[in-house]
Amino acid sequence: MGDAKSDQELIVSRQVLSIPQRFSTGPVMGRFLRELRDNRRIMANRCPKCGRHQLPPREVCAVCHVEATEWDALGPEGTLRDFDVVYYASPDPLTGETRETPYVLCWADLDGTQGDAPLWHLLDPADLGRVRRGARVRVVFADEREGTTGDIKHFEIIE
Amino acid sequence: MSQEAENAFVIEGKMALPYQYFAGATGSKFIVALRDEKKILGVRCEKCGKTFVPPRQTCERCFSDLTDAWIELEPTGEVTGFTVIRYAEPYQPVTPPYVLALIKLDGADTPIAHLLDCGDLANARVGMRVRAVFSEERKDNILEIARFEPIES
Repeated sequence: MGDAKSDQELIVSRQVLSIPQRFSTGPVMGRFLRELRDNRRIMANRCPKCGRHQLPPREVCAVCHVEATEWDALGPEGTLRDFDVVYYASPDPLTGETRETPYVLCWADLDGTQGDAPLWHLLDPADLGRVRRGARVRVVFADEREGTTGDIKHFEIIE
Repeated sequence: MSQEAENAFVIEGKMALPYQYFAGATGSKFIVALRDEKKILGVRCEKCGKTFVPPRQTCERCFSDLTDAWIELEPTGEVTGFTVIRYAEPYQPVTPPYVLALIKLDGADTPIAHLLDCGDLANARVGMRVRAVFSEERKDNILEIARFEPIES
């Protein structure tokens, strides 16, 4: 583009398309979400063969390929395993609104977990300045819960 | 209700997809001329003798640069094909059912897709003579032409 054209009006169209969707939970993920909503409990299912937990639960043990029929409540406290501090202002996929930055995503091993099944969620923005590996954390539930992973508000650091 | 049925439920949600579309230098000049002057611009490749509407920067046949090969077209033309949209979904320009037609403007070699309002849907015909009706409202997109209508004969 030459300088002679630089004052041309250029058209940009900005839109947010909103696409309705329906997600059928099935009985296993549904139990996990219902327990969050109704009982503020984080339920993982456990493989009857190898004893490992799956969180979020899945119908079949990914290692042993047998139905994971046992259920345990884990946490709500745990130990922070790792975290990301996110500075990129990505849009929230459920609203199209741009997120506040920075925000922290973290992985925590909930107390009682057998095997490798950390829970992945946001950290309380107030804890940004003191986040570290190994910190003790607790799950904070949302006041209004509707059977989604948003029923967990975030983790908070408790020490 | 069995425990399994109680545990299985449906979550209603929505997914938002923000996006930006850049019309570019050529597309912007086309839209601005529609909006501000109620003129339909195309580009003409003299080497191939072809007129392109909507305009493009490069001739699709000989790859000549058409950046400054602008010509103005009449707002009249002929229907070269059409379909009837009966399925309602979000983000349609008008409420179905409606006719989406390919319209080759007089002097153009390529058709543009646009809305055709011919009253009864059954009136739509290939070969129908039509005229562009410009929008009263500012749109900043191809809907600066609101629709095409049949020319009374």
